Amino acid sequence: MTAVAAPARNRRRPSTPARVGLGVGVLWFSVLALLPLVAVVVETSSAGWAGFLATITDAQTAAALRLTVTQALGVTAVNVVMGTLIAWVLVRDPFPGRRAVEVLIDIPFALPTIVAGLVLLSLYGPGSPLGIDVAATEAAVTLALLFVTLPFVVRTVQPVLAELDADVEQAAASLGASPLTILRRIVAPALAPAVAAGAALSFARALSEYGALVLLSGNLPMRTEVASVRILSYLESGDQTSAAAVATLLLAVSLLAIVALELIGRAAVRRG
Amino acid sequence: MSIEVRSVSKQFGDFHALDDVSVSLPTGQLTALLGPSGGGKSTLLRIIAGLEDADAGTVEIEGRDATRLPAQQRNVGFVFQHYAAFKHMSVAKNVAFGLEIRKVAKEEVRARVDELLRLVHLEQFADRRPSQLSGGQRQRMALARALAVRPSVLLLDEPFGALDAQVRKELREWLRHLHDEFPVTTVFVTHDQEEALEVADEIVVINAGRVEQVGSPDSLYDAPASAFVMSFLGPVTTLDGALVRPHDVELVAPGHGTGGRVARITRIGFEVRVEVRTAAGRTDLTLTRSAARARGIAVGEQVEVALVAGATSVPAPGAVARELLPAR
Repeated sequence: MTAVAAPARNRRRPSTPARVGLGVGVLWFSVLALLPLVAVVVETSSAGWAGFLATITDAQTAAALRLTVTQALGVTAVNVVMGTLIAWVLVRDPFPGRRAVEVLIDIPFALPTIVAGLVLLSLYGPGSPLGIDVAATEAAVTLALLFVTLPFVVRTVQPVLAELDADVEQAAASLGASPLTILRRIVAPALAPAVAAGAALSFARALSEYGALVLLSGNLPMRTEVASVRILSYLESGDQTSAAAVATLLLAVSLLAIVALELIGRAAVRRG
Repeated sequence: MSIEVRSVSKQFGDFHALDDVSVSLPTGQLTALLGPSGGGKSTLLRIIAGLEDADAGTVEIEGRDATRLPAQQRNVGFVFQHYAAFKHMSVAKNVAFGLEIRKVAKEEVRARVDELLRLVHLEQFADRRPSQLSGGQRQRMALARALAVRPSVLLLDEPFGALDAQVRKELREWLRHLHDEFPVTTVFVTHDQEEALEVADEIVVINAGRVEQVGSPDSLYDAPASAFVMSFLGPVTTLDGALVRPHDVELVAPGHGTGGRVARITRIGFEVRVEVRTAAGRTDLTLTRSAARARGIAVGEQVEVALVAGATSVPAPGAVARELLPAR
Protein backbone atom coordinates (compact mmCIF):
# COMPACT_ATOMS: atom_id res chain seq x y z
CA MET A 1 0.00 0.00 0.00
CA THR A 2 2.73 2.44 0.97
CA ALA A 3 4.51 1.76 -2.28
CA VAL A 4 1.40 2.83 -4.18
CA ALA A 5 0.76 5.89 -2.02
CA ALA A 6 4.34 7.18 -2.13
CA PRO A 7 4.40 8.59 -5.69
CA ALA A 8 1.14 10.45 -5.09
CA ARG A 9 2.56 12.10 -1.99
CA ASN A 10 5.70 12.97 -3.89
CA ARG A 11 3.71 14.79 -6.49
CA ARG A 12 1.89 16.93 -3.93
CA ARG A 13 4.91 17.84 -1.87
CA PRO A 14 8.28 18.18 -3.62
CA SER A 15 11.32 16.41 -2.17
CA THR A 16 13.76 18.39 -0.03
CA PRO A 17 16.31 19.05 -2.82
CA ALA A 18 13.49 20.19 -5.09
CA ARG A 19 12.20 22.55 -2.40
CA VAL A 20 15.67 24.00 -1.85
CA GLY A 21 16.03 24.44 -5.60
CA LEU A 22 12.67 26.18 -5.83
CA GLY A 23 13.56 28.44 -2.91
CA VAL A 24 16.91 29.47 -4.35
CA GLY A 25 15.32 30.02 -7.75
CA VAL A 26 12.58 32.27 -6.40
CA LEU A 27 15.04 34.25 -4.25
CA TRP A 28 17.43 34.70 -7.19
CA PHE A 29 14.64 35.80 -9.48
CA SER A 30 13.25 38.20 -6.86
CA VAL A 31 16.53 39.93 -6.10
CA LEU A 32 17.62 40.20 -9.71
CA ALA A 33 14.37 40.87 -11.54
CA LEU A 34 11.25 41.28 -9.45
CA LEU A 35 12.61 43.74 -6.87
CA PRO A 36 14.00 46.28 -9.38
CA LEU A 37 10.80 46.04 -11.43
CA VAL A 38 8.66 46.72 -8.37
CA ALA A 39 10.95 49.60 -7.40
CA VAL A 40 10.44 51.17 -10.83
CA VAL A 41 6.67 50.86 -10.57
CA VAL A 42 6.68 52.24 -6.99
CA GLU A 43 8.82 55.18 -8.08
CA THR A 44 6.36 55.83 -10.92
CA SER A 45 3.36 55.73 -8.58
CA SER A 46 4.85 58.42 -6.34
CA ALA A 47 3.68 61.05 -8.85
CA GLY A 48 0.22 59.52 -9.07
CA TRP A 49 -1.81 58.66 -12.16
CA ALA A 50 -1.94 62.29 -13.30
CA GLY A 51 1.82 62.63 -13.05
CA PHE A 52 2.30 59.43 -15.06
CA LEU A 53 -0.07 60.65 -17.79
CA ALA A 54 1.56 64.07 -17.87
CA THR A 55 4.98 62.49 -18.41
CA ILE A 56 4.06 60.10 -21.18
CA THR A 57 1.88 62.61 -23.04
CA ASP A 58 4.64 65.21 -23.03
CA ALA A 59 5.19 65.87 -26.74
CA GLN A 60 8.90 64.96 -26.80
CA THR A 61 8.44 61.85 -24.64
CA ALA A 62 5.40 60.68 -26.60
CA ALA A 63 7.35 61.07 -29.85
CA ALA A 64 10.24 59.04 -28.43
CA LEU A 65 7.88 56.31 -27.24
CA ARG A 66 6.05 56.21 -30.57
CA LEU A 67 9.34 55.96 -32.48
CA THR A 68 10.63 53.22 -30.17
CA VAL A 69 7.52 51.06 -30.35
CA THR A 70 7.02 51.38 -34.13
CA GLN A 71 10.72 50.71 -34.77
CA ALA A 72 10.66 47.69 -32.44
CA LEU A 73 7.58 46.30 -34.20
CA GLY A 74 9.05 46.85 -37.66
CA VAL A 75 12.43 45.37 -36.75
CA THR A 76 10.76 42.36 -35.14
CA ALA A 77 8.66 41.76 -38.24
CA VAL A 78 11.80 41.85 -40.41
CA ASN A 79 13.55 39.46 -37.99
CA VAL A 80 10.70 36.97 -38.10
CA VAL A 81 11.16 36.67 -41.86
CA MET A 82 14.93 37.05 -42.19
CA GLY A 83 15.77 35.13 -39.00
CA THR A 84 13.68 32.15 -40.05
CA LEU A 85 15.20 32.32 -43.52
CA ILE A 86 18.77 32.39 -42.17
CA ALA A 87 18.01 29.54 -39.75
CA TRP A 88 16.56 27.56 -42.67
CA VAL A 89 19.62 28.11 -44.82
CA LEU A 90 21.97 27.21 -41.95
CA VAL A 91 20.12 23.96 -41.19
CA ARG A 92 18.83 22.79 -44.56
CA ASP A 93 21.31 24.01 -47.15
CA PRO A 94 24.82 23.21 -45.99
CA PHE A 95 27.13 25.54 -47.94
CA PRO A 96 30.84 26.20 -47.76
CA GLY A 97 31.54 28.74 -45.05
CA ARG A 98 28.50 27.74 -43.01
CA ARG A 99 30.61 27.43 -39.86
CA ALA A 100 31.93 30.94 -40.30
CA VAL A 101 28.40 32.31 -40.64
CA GLU A 102 27.38 30.36 -37.51
CA VAL A 103 30.01 32.28 -35.53
CA LEU A 104 29.32 35.64 -37.18
CA ILE A 105 25.61 35.43 -36.31
CA ASP A 106 26.51 35.66 -32.63
CA ILE A 107 28.74 38.73 -32.97
CA PRO A 108 25.90 41.16 -32.14
CA PHE A 109 25.44 39.11 -28.92
CA ALA A 110 29.11 39.21 -28.06
CA LEU A 111 29.95 42.79 -28.97
CA PRO A 112 29.48 45.47 -26.26
CA THR A 113 26.63 47.53 -27.68
CA ILE A 114 28.56 50.80 -27.55
CA VAL A 115 31.26 49.14 -29.66
CA ALA A 116 28.53 48.10 -32.07
CA GLY A 117 27.44 51.71 -32.10
CA LEU A 118 30.96 52.84 -32.94
CA VAL A 119 31.28 50.31 -35.74
CA LEU A 120 27.95 51.39 -37.20
CA LEU A 121 28.90 55.04 -36.94
CA SER A 122 32.19 54.55 -38.77
CA LEU A 123 30.51 52.43 -41.47
CA TYR A 124 27.25 54.32 -42.02
CA GLY A 125 27.97 57.74 -40.52
CA PRO A 126 29.53 60.86 -42.04
CA GLY A 127 32.69 59.83 -43.87
CA SER A 128 31.34 56.33 -44.51
CA PRO A 129 33.77 54.28 -46.61
CA LEU A 130 30.71 52.80 -48.34
CA GLY A 131 29.31 56.21 -49.18
CA ILE A 132 26.20 55.53 -47.12
CA ASP A 133 25.43 58.16 -44.51
CA VAL A 134 22.31 57.53 -42.47
CA ALA A 135 23.44 59.41 -39.36
CA ALA A 136 20.74 61.35 -37.51
CA THR A 137 17.88 59.74 -39.45
CA GLU A 138 15.24 57.15 -38.50
CA ALA A 139 17.07 54.71 -40.74
CA ALA A 140 19.97 54.88 -38.29
CA VAL A 141 17.68 53.64 -35.51
CA THR A 142 16.36 50.83 -37.72
CA LEU A 143 19.84 49.79 -38.75
CA ALA A 144 21.18 49.69 -35.20
CA LEU A 145 18.18 47.71 -33.96
CA LEU A 146 18.39 45.24 -36.84
CA PHE A 147 22.05 44.71 -36.03
CA VAL A 148 21.62 43.93 -32.33
CA THR A 149 18.45 41.82 -32.70
CA LEU A 150 19.66 39.70 -35.61
CA PRO A 151 20.59 36.56 -33.61
CA PHE A 152 17.38 36.12 -31.61
CA VAL A 153 15.03 34.51 -34.13
CA VAL A 154 17.89 32.65 -35.84
CA ARG A 155 19.04 31.11 -32.58
CA THR A 156 15.58 30.10 -31.34
CA VAL A 157 14.41 28.64 -34.68
CA GLN A 158 17.63 26.86 -35.65
CA PRO A 159 17.58 24.04 -33.05
CA VAL A 160 13.87 23.37 -33.57
CA LEU A 161 14.36 23.19 -37.33
CA ALA A 162 17.32 20.86 -36.90
CA GLU A 163 15.22 18.55 -34.72
CA LEU A 164 12.37 18.49 -37.24
CA ASP A 165 12.04 14.97 -38.57
CA ALA A 166 12.52 14.60 -42.33
CA ASP A 167 10.19 11.58 -42.11
CA VAL A 168 7.29 13.82 -41.11
CA GLU A 169 7.63 15.98 -44.22
CA GLN A 170 8.01 12.89 -46.41
CA ALA A 171 4.91 11.36 -44.84
CA ALA A 172 2.98 14.51 -45.76
CA ALA A 173 4.40 14.39 -49.31
CA SER A 174 3.37 10.77 -49.83
CA LEU A 175 -0.13 11.71 -48.63
CA GLY A 176 -0.24 14.18 -51.52
CA ALA A 177 0.80 17.46 -49.88
CA SER A 178 2.61 19.96 -52.12
CA PRO A 179 5.82 21.57 -50.81
CA LEU A 180 3.83 24.73 -50.02
CA THR A 181 1.19 22.79 -48.11
CA ILE A 182 3.90 20.94 -46.19
CA LEU A 183 5.49 24.27 -45.28
CA ARG A 184 2.17 25.76 -44.20
CA ARG A 185 0.60 22.83 -42.37
CA ILE A 186 3.57 20.81 -41.08
CA VAL A 187 6.72 22.96 -40.84
CA ALA A 188 5.25 26.37 -39.89
CA PRO A 189 3.19 25.08 -36.94
CA ALA A 190 6.23 23.22 -35.65
CA LEU A 191 8.37 26.37 -35.86
CA ALA A 192 5.74 28.85 -34.65
CA PRO A 193 6.52 28.65 -30.90
CA ALA A 194 10.24 29.13 -31.59
CA VAL A 195 9.61 32.03 -33.98
CA ALA A 196 7.29 33.64 -31.42
CA ALA A 197 9.88 33.23 -28.65
CA GLY A 198 12.60 34.74 -30.84
CA ALA A 199 10.30 37.59 -31.87
CA ALA A 200 9.49 38.35 -28.21
CA LEU A 201 13.19 38.52 -27.34
CA SER A 202 13.92 40.65 -30.37
CA PHE A 203 11.04 43.04 -29.61
CA ALA A 204 12.03 43.42 -25.94
CA ARG A 205 15.64 44.06 -26.90
CA ALA A 206 14.64 46.65 -29.53
CA LEU A 207 12.49 48.52 -26.99
CA SER A 208 15.37 48.86 -24.57
CA GLU A 209 18.37 49.32 -26.88
CA TYR A 210 20.62 52.27 -26.09
CA GLY A 211 24.31 51.77 -26.84
CA ALA A 212 24.14 50.61 -30.43
CA LEU A 213 21.99 53.47 -31.69
CA VAL A 214 22.96 56.38 -29.46
CA LEU A 215 25.98 57.38 -31.56
CA LEU A 216 24.52 56.97 -35.04
CA SER A 217 20.96 58.23 -34.43
CA GLY A 218 22.00 61.68 -33.24
CA ASN A 219 19.19 61.66 -30.62
CA LEU A 220 17.28 64.53 -32.23
CA PRO A 221 14.22 65.35 -30.12
CA MET A 222 10.92 64.59 -31.91
CA ARG A 223 12.82 62.84 -34.71
CA THR A 224 15.40 60.21 -33.78
CA GLU A 225 15.32 60.21 -30.01
CA VAL A 226 14.27 56.80 -28.57
CA ALA A 227 12.72 56.02 -25.18
CA SER A 228 15.91 54.81 -23.50
CA VAL A 229 17.68 58.05 -24.41
CA ARG A 230 14.69 59.96 -23.07
CA ILE A 231 14.96 58.06 -19.76
CA LEU A 232 18.61 59.02 -19.48
CA SER A 233 17.90 62.69 -20.12
CA TYR A 234 15.17 62.66 -17.42
CA LEU A 235 17.68 61.13 -15.02
CA GLU A 236 20.34 63.66 -15.96
CA SER A 237 17.91 66.48 -15.13
CA GLY A 238 17.18 64.83 -11.75
CA ASP A 239 13.61 63.77 -12.63
CA GLN A 240 13.66 60.15 -11.44
CA THR A 241 9.88 59.84 -11.34
CA SER A 242 9.43 60.72 -15.00
CA ALA A 243 12.26 58.37 -15.95
CA ALA A 244 10.48 55.62 -14.02
CA ALA A 245 7.19 56.46 -15.74
CA VAL A 246 8.71 55.92 -19.21
CA ALA A 247 10.36 52.74 -17.97
CA THR A 248 7.06 51.45 -16.60
CA LEU A 249 5.34 52.06 -19.92
CA LEU A 250 8.11 50.23 -21.79
CA LEU A 251 7.74 47.39 -19.31
CA ALA A 252 3.99 47.17 -19.91
CA VAL A 253 4.39 47.22 -23.70
CA SER A 254 7.09 44.56 -23.49
CA LEU A 255 4.96 42.33 -21.30
CA LEU A 256 1.98 42.79 -23.59
CA ALA A 257 4.08 41.85 -26.64
CA ILE A 258 5.50 38.74 -24.98
CA VAL A 259 2.04 37.51 -23.97
CA ALA A 260 0.59 38.32 -27.40
CA LEU A 261 3.40 36.50 -29.21
CA GLU A 262 3.04 33.49 -26.93
CA LEU A 263 -0.68 33.35 -27.77
CA ILE A 264 0.00 33.75 -31.51
CA GLY A 265 2.55 30.93 -31.31
CA ARG A 266 0.07 28.62 -29.63
CA ALA A 267 -2.74 29.51 -32.01
CA ALA A 268 -0.48 28.76 -34.99
CA VAL A 269 0.29 25.32 -33.55
CA ARG A 270 -3.39 24.56 -33.06
CA ARG A 271 -4.38 25.77 -36.50
CA GLY A 272 -1.96 23.45 -38.33
CA MET B 1 1.75 -6.93 -61.63
CA SER B 2 1.10 -4.11 -59.22
CA ILE B 3 4.70 -2.96 -58.81
CA GLU B 4 7.30 -3.58 -61.47
CA VAL B 5 10.87 -2.58 -60.66
CA ARG B 6 13.31 -2.88 -63.56
CA SER B 7 17.11 -2.66 -63.34
CA VAL B 8 17.12 -0.10 -60.56
CA SER B 9 20.50 1.10 -59.29
CA LYS B 10 21.23 3.61 -56.57
CA GLN B 11 24.53 4.88 -55.24
CA PHE B 12 25.24 7.01 -52.17
CA GLY B 13 28.72 8.40 -52.71
CA ASP B 14 30.72 5.31 -53.66
CA PHE B 15 28.40 2.95 -51.77
CA HIS B 16 26.18 0.82 -54.02
CA ALA B 17 22.87 0.66 -52.14
CA LEU B 18 21.13 -1.07 -55.06
CA ASP B 19 22.84 -2.73 -57.99
CA ASP B 20 20.64 -3.53 -61.01
CA VAL B 21 17.64 -4.75 -59.01
CA SER B 22 14.50 -6.07 -60.74
CA VAL B 23 11.43 -7.40 -58.94
CA SER B 24 7.73 -7.72 -59.73
CA LEU B 25 5.28 -7.58 -56.87
CA PRO B 26 1.85 -9.02 -57.64
CA THR B 27 -1.42 -7.18 -56.91
CA GLY B 28 -3.14 -7.84 -53.61
CA GLN B 29 -0.24 -9.67 -52.00
CA LEU B 30 1.68 -9.04 -48.83
CA THR B 31 5.36 -9.04 -49.75
CA ALA B 32 8.33 -8.80 -47.40
CA LEU B 33 11.65 -7.26 -48.42
CA LEU B 34 13.97 -9.19 -46.12
CA GLY B 35 17.66 -8.71 -45.57
CA PRO B 36 20.38 -7.48 -43.24
CA SER B 37 20.72 -3.80 -42.28
CA GLY B 38 22.38 -1.74 -44.99
CA GLY B 39 21.46 -4.30 -47.65
CA GLY B 40 19.39 -1.84 -49.68
CA LYS B 41 15.86 -2.97 -48.88
CA SER B 42 14.72 0.35 -47.38
CA THR B 43 16.27 2.22 -50.30
CA LEU B 44 14.26 0.07 -52.72
CA LEU B 45 11.06 0.79 -50.79
CA ARG B 46 11.79 4.52 -50.77
CA ILE B 47 12.46 4.48 -54.51
CA ILE B 48 9.10 2.78 -55.09
CA ALA B 49 7.46 5.50 -52.96
CA GLY B 50 9.26 8.33 -54.76
CA LEU B 51 11.02 9.48 -51.59
CA GLU B 52 14.34 8.67 -53.27
CA ASP B 53 15.33 8.87 -56.94
CA ALA B 54 16.91 5.91 -58.66
CA ASP B 55 20.16 6.56 -60.54
CA ALA B 56 19.05 4.13 -63.22
CA GLY B 57 16.11 1.86 -63.97
CA THR B 58 12.32 2.26 -63.92
CA VAL B 59 9.47 1.82 -61.48
CA GLU B 60 5.95 0.99 -62.64
CA ILE B 61 2.97 1.15 -60.30
CA GLU B 62 -0.35 -0.35 -61.46
CA GLY B 63 0.81 -0.33 -65.06
CA ARG B 64 1.81 3.36 -64.98
CA ASP B 65 5.44 4.46 -65.34
CA ALA B 66 6.15 6.21 -62.03
CA THR B 67 9.90 6.66 -62.39
CA ARG B 68 9.65 10.43 -62.81
CA LEU B 69 6.48 10.99 -60.75
CA PRO B 70 6.90 12.93 -57.49
CA ALA B 71 5.86 11.14 -54.28
CA GLN B 72 2.67 13.22 -54.17
CA GLN B 73 1.29 11.67 -57.37
CA ARG B 74 2.13 8.01 -56.84
CA ASN B 75 -0.92 7.25 -54.69
CA VAL B 76 1.24 5.26 -52.34
CA GLY B 77 0.68 4.88 -48.61
CA PHE B 78 3.93 4.97 -46.64
CA VAL B 79 4.46 3.96 -43.01
CA PHE B 80 7.75 4.91 -41.33
CA GLN B 81 9.64 3.03 -38.63
CA HIS B 82 9.43 5.96 -36.23
CA TYR B 83 5.76 6.76 -36.99
CA ALA B 84 6.37 10.26 -38.48
CA ALA B 85 3.32 11.52 -36.61
CA PHE B 86 2.17 15.10 -37.13
CA LYS B 87 2.80 16.01 -33.49
CA HIS B 88 0.76 19.21 -33.41
CA MET B 89 -2.40 17.54 -34.73
CA SER B 90 -4.89 15.27 -32.98
CA VAL B 91 -5.05 11.60 -33.95
CA ALA B 92 -8.19 12.24 -36.02
CA LYS B 93 -6.52 15.20 -37.79
CA ASN B 94 -3.51 13.05 -38.60
CA VAL B 95 -5.73 10.47 -40.26
CA ALA B 96 -7.76 13.16 -42.04
CA PHE B 97 -4.68 14.96 -43.44
CA GLY B 98 -4.51 13.24 -46.83
CA LEU B 99 -8.26 13.64 -47.36
CA GLU B 100 -8.28 17.32 -46.40
CA ILE B 101 -5.52 17.98 -48.90
CA ARG B 102 -7.64 16.34 -51.58
CA LYS B 103 -10.46 18.74 -50.61
CA VAL B 104 -12.81 15.89 -49.76
CA ALA B 105 -16.14 17.11 -48.31
CA LYS B 106 -16.11 17.53 -44.51
CA GLU B 107 -18.87 14.97 -43.87
CA GLU B 108 -17.10 12.37 -45.97
CA VAL B 109 -13.78 13.03 -44.21
CA ARG B 110 -15.40 12.55 -40.81
CA ALA B 111 -17.07 9.30 -41.87
CA ARG B 112 -13.86 7.90 -43.36
CA VAL B 113 -11.76 8.91 -40.33
CA ASP B 114 -14.28 7.26 -37.97
CA GLU B 115 -14.23 4.11 -40.07
CA LEU B 116 -10.41 3.94 -40.08
CA LEU B 117 -10.03 4.70 -36.38
CA ARG B 118 -12.44 1.84 -35.68
CA LEU B 119 -10.40 -0.39 -37.98
CA VAL B 120 -7.18 0.31 -36.05
CA HIS B 121 -8.96 0.29 -32.65
CA LEU B 122 -8.20 3.92 -31.86
CA GLU B 123 -11.75 5.34 -31.93
CA GLN B 124 -11.58 6.46 -28.27
CA PHE B 125 -8.28 8.27 -28.91
CA ALA B 126 -9.50 10.49 -31.77
CA ASP B 127 -8.94 13.76 -29.89
CA ARG B 128 -5.64 12.81 -28.27
CA ARG B 129 -2.24 14.04 -29.40
CA PRO B 130 0.16 11.42 -30.86
CA SER B 131 2.45 12.06 -27.88
CA GLN B 132 -0.25 10.63 -25.62
CA LEU B 133 -0.26 7.29 -27.45
CA SER B 134 1.99 4.28 -26.98
CA GLY B 135 4.36 3.23 -29.77
CA GLY B 136 2.02 0.51 -31.01
CA GLN B 137 -0.92 2.90 -31.03
CA ARG B 138 1.09 5.53 -32.89
CA GLN B 139 2.04 3.03 -35.55
CA ARG B 140 -1.61 2.00 -35.96
CA MET B 141 -2.48 5.68 -36.35
CA ALA B 142 0.21 6.01 -39.02
CA LEU B 143 -1.28 3.00 -40.80
CA ALA B 144 -4.77 4.49 -40.68
CA ARG B 145 -3.36 7.78 -42.02
CA ALA B 146 -1.71 5.96 -44.93
CA LEU B 147 -4.84 3.92 -45.71
CA ALA B 148 -7.18 6.94 -45.55
CA VAL B 149 -6.38 8.07 -49.10
CA ARG B 150 -7.09 4.57 -50.50
CA PRO B 151 -3.56 4.04 -51.85
CA SER B 152 -3.02 1.54 -54.64
CA VAL B 153 -0.03 0.16 -52.73
CA LEU B 154 0.89 0.29 -49.06
CA LEU B 155 4.60 0.46 -48.20
CA LEU B 156 5.88 -0.10 -44.66
CA ASP B 157 9.50 0.56 -43.72
CA GLU B 158 10.45 -1.58 -40.70
CA PRO B 159 7.00 -0.81 -39.31
CA PHE B 160 7.46 -2.72 -36.07
CA GLY B 161 11.19 -2.11 -35.64
CA ALA B 162 10.83 0.48 -32.87
CA LEU B 163 8.36 -1.56 -30.79
CA ASP B 164 9.06 -4.03 -28.02
CA ALA B 165 8.86 -7.76 -28.71
CA GLN B 166 5.36 -8.37 -27.33
CA VAL B 167 3.71 -5.46 -29.18
CA ARG B 168 5.62 -6.37 -32.34
CA LYS B 169 4.16 -9.87 -32.28
CA GLU B 170 0.63 -8.59 -31.72
CA LEU B 171 0.89 -5.99 -34.46
CA ARG B 172 2.20 -8.34 -37.11
CA GLU B 173 -0.62 -10.79 -36.51
CA TRP B 174 -2.99 -7.87 -36.68
CA LEU B 175 -1.41 -6.65 -39.95
CA ARG B 176 -1.85 -10.13 -41.43
CA HIS B 177 -5.56 -10.14 -40.48
CA LEU B 178 -6.02 -6.60 -41.75
CA HIS B 179 -4.51 -7.60 -45.06
CA ASP B 180 -6.73 -10.67 -45.33
CA GLU B 181 -9.72 -8.40 -44.80
CA PHE B 182 -8.57 -5.53 -47.07
CA PRO B 183 -6.20 -6.99 -49.64
CA VAL B 184 -4.39 -3.83 -50.75
CA THR B 185 -0.99 -4.61 -52.30
CA THR B 186 1.41 -4.31 -49.38
CA VAL B 187 5.21 -4.32 -49.22
CA PHE B 188 7.04 -4.22 -45.92
CA VAL B 189 10.71 -4.06 -45.11
CA THR B 190 12.11 -6.14 -42.28
CA HIS B 191 15.39 -7.62 -41.09
CA ASP B 192 13.54 -10.11 -38.89
CA GLN B 193 13.21 -13.43 -40.75
CA GLU B 194 10.56 -14.69 -38.32
CA GLU B 195 8.42 -11.64 -39.07
CA ALA B 196 8.78 -12.20 -42.82
CA LEU B 197 8.06 -15.93 -42.61
CA GLU B 198 5.01 -15.39 -40.43
CA VAL B 199 3.36 -12.47 -42.21
CA ALA B 200 4.32 -12.47 -45.89
CA ASP B 201 2.81 -14.26 -48.89
CA GLU B 202 6.06 -13.73 -50.71
CA ILE B 203 9.56 -12.83 -49.58
CA VAL B 204 12.22 -10.97 -51.54
CA VAL B 205 15.62 -11.56 -49.93
CA ILE B 206 17.92 -8.59 -50.53
CA ASN B 207 21.58 -8.50 -49.60
CA ALA B 208 24.41 -6.14 -50.52
CA GLY B 209 22.22 -4.27 -53.01
CA ARG B 210 21.11 -7.38 -54.93
CA VAL B 211 18.11 -9.69 -54.93
CA GLU B 212 19.26 -13.07 -53.57
CA GLN B 213 16.01 -14.97 -54.01
CA VAL B 214 12.27 -14.44 -54.43
CA GLY B 215 9.65 -16.94 -53.32
CA SER B 216 7.03 -18.03 -50.84
CA PRO B 217 8.13 -18.46 -47.21
CA ASP B 218 7.97 -22.25 -47.60
CA SER B 219 9.96 -22.42 -50.81
CA LEU B 220 12.63 -20.10 -49.42
CA TYR B 221 12.96 -22.12 -46.26
CA ASP B 222 12.90 -25.50 -48.00
CA ALA B 223 14.86 -24.66 -51.12
CA PRO B 224 17.24 -21.79 -50.40
CA ALA B 225 19.16 -20.70 -53.49
CA SER B 226 22.30 -19.82 -51.59
CA ALA B 227 24.13 -20.28 -48.33
CA PHE B 228 23.21 -16.67 -47.51
CA VAL B 229 19.46 -17.24 -47.86
CA MET B 230 19.70 -20.50 -45.94
CA SER B 231 21.56 -18.92 -43.03
CA PHE B 232 19.49 -15.75 -42.99
CA LEU B 233 16.14 -17.54 -42.81
CA GLY B 234 16.90 -19.75 -39.84
CA PRO B 235 19.52 -21.46 -37.70
CA VAL B 236 22.20 -23.43 -39.58
CA THR B 237 25.06 -25.77 -38.78
CA THR B 238 27.52 -27.76 -40.85
CA LEU B 239 27.69 -31.50 -41.42
CA ASP B 240 30.17 -33.19 -43.76
CA GLY B 241 30.90 -29.92 -45.60
CA ALA B 242 27.25 -29.01 -46.09
CA LEU B 243 25.14 -26.24 -44.54
CA VAL B 244 22.11 -27.85 -42.86
CA ARG B 245 19.45 -26.99 -40.29
CA PRO B 246 20.07 -28.25 -36.73
CA HIS B 247 16.57 -29.71 -36.58
CA ASP B 248 17.36 -31.79 -39.70
CA VAL B 249 20.23 -33.53 -37.93
CA GLU B 250 19.53 -36.68 -35.88
CA LEU B 251 21.44 -39.12 -33.71
CA VAL B 252 21.76 -42.49 -35.48
CA ALA B 253 22.86 -46.00 -34.59
CA PRO B 254 26.65 -46.73 -34.78
CA GLY B 255 27.85 -47.29 -38.33
CA HIS B 256 25.13 -45.15 -39.93
CA GLY B 257 26.54 -41.64 -39.64
CA THR B 258 29.45 -39.37 -38.78
CA GLY B 259 31.09 -40.03 -35.45
CA GLY B 260 31.73 -37.37 -32.82
CA ARG B 261 31.71 -36.49 -29.14
CA VAL B 262 29.00 -34.50 -27.35
CA ALA B 263 30.67 -31.26 -26.27
CA ARG B 264 27.78 -29.36 -24.79
CA ILE B 265 24.07 -29.68 -24.05
CA THR B 266 21.81 -26.64 -23.60
CA ARG B 267 18.13 -26.82 -22.82
CA ILE B 268 15.92 -23.91 -23.82
CA GLY B 269 12.29 -24.54 -22.94
CA PHE B 270 11.01 -27.52 -24.89
CA GLU B 271 14.13 -27.66 -27.03
CA VAL B 272 17.46 -29.34 -26.30
CA ARG B 273 20.49 -28.14 -28.28
CA VAL B 274 23.37 -30.56 -28.60
CA GLU B 275 26.84 -29.56 -29.83
CA VAL B 276 28.79 -32.44 -31.33
CA ARG B 277 32.53 -32.27 -32.15
CA THR B 278 33.31 -34.35 -35.23
CA ALA B 279 36.57 -34.86 -37.08
CA ALA B 280 35.43 -32.18 -39.61
CA GLY B 281 34.44 -29.63 -36.99
CA ARG B 282 31.27 -28.85 -35.13
CA THR B 283 27.70 -29.98 -35.78
CA ASP B 284 24.72 -28.68 -33.82
CA LEU B 285 21.45 -30.51 -33.57
CA THR B 286 18.19 -29.89 -31.77
CA LEU B 287 15.98 -32.47 -30.12
CA THR B 288 12.69 -32.09 -28.37
CA ARG B 289 12.91 -32.43 -24.61
CA SER B 290 11.01 -35.71 -24.61
CA ALA B 291 13.19 -37.21 -27.37
CA ALA B 292 16.33 -36.25 -25.46
CA ARG B 293 14.95 -37.76 -22.27
CA ALA B 294 13.83 -40.99 -23.97
CA ARG B 295 17.23 -41.55 -25.52
CA GLY B 296 19.35 -40.29 -22.68
CA ILE B 297 22.35 -38.16 -23.69
CA ALA B 298 25.33 -36.88 -21.74
CA VAL B 299 28.32 -34.61 -22.35
CA GLY B 300 31.41 -36.60 -23.42
CA GLU B 301 29.36 -39.41 -24.97
CA GLN B 302 30.47 -40.81 -28.36
CA VAL B 303 27.59 -40.49 -30.86
CA GLU B 304 26.97 -40.64 -34.59
CA VAL B 305 24.95 -37.98 -36.46
CA ALA B 306 23.29 -37.94 -39.88
CA LEU B 307 20.75 -35.89 -41.86
CA VAL B 308 17.07 -36.88 -41.76
CA ALA B 309 15.48 -37.91 -45.06
CA GLY B 310 14.47 -34.97 -47.25
CA ALA B 311 16.58 -32.47 -45.34
CA THR B 312 17.57 -29.16 -46.94
CA SER B 313 21.26 -28.64 -47.47
CA VAL B 314 23.53 -26.38 -49.49
CA PRO B 315 27.30 -26.57 -49.89
CA ALA B 316 28.98 -24.82 -46.98
CA PRO B 317 30.85 -21.79 -48.34
CA GLY B 318 33.55 -21.84 -45.67
CA ALA B 319 34.80 -18.99 -43.58
CA VAL B 320 33.04 -16.24 -45.55
CA ALA B 321 29.54 -17.43 -44.76
CA ARG B 322 30.32 -17.92 -41.09
CA GLU B 323 30.49 -14.17 -40.69
CA LEU B 324 27.07 -13.83 -42.27
CA LEU B 325 25.46 -16.30 -39.93
CA PRO B 326 23.04 -14.50 -37.66
CA ALA B 327 24.29 -14.71 -34.08
CA ARG B 328 22.22 -17.20 -32.21
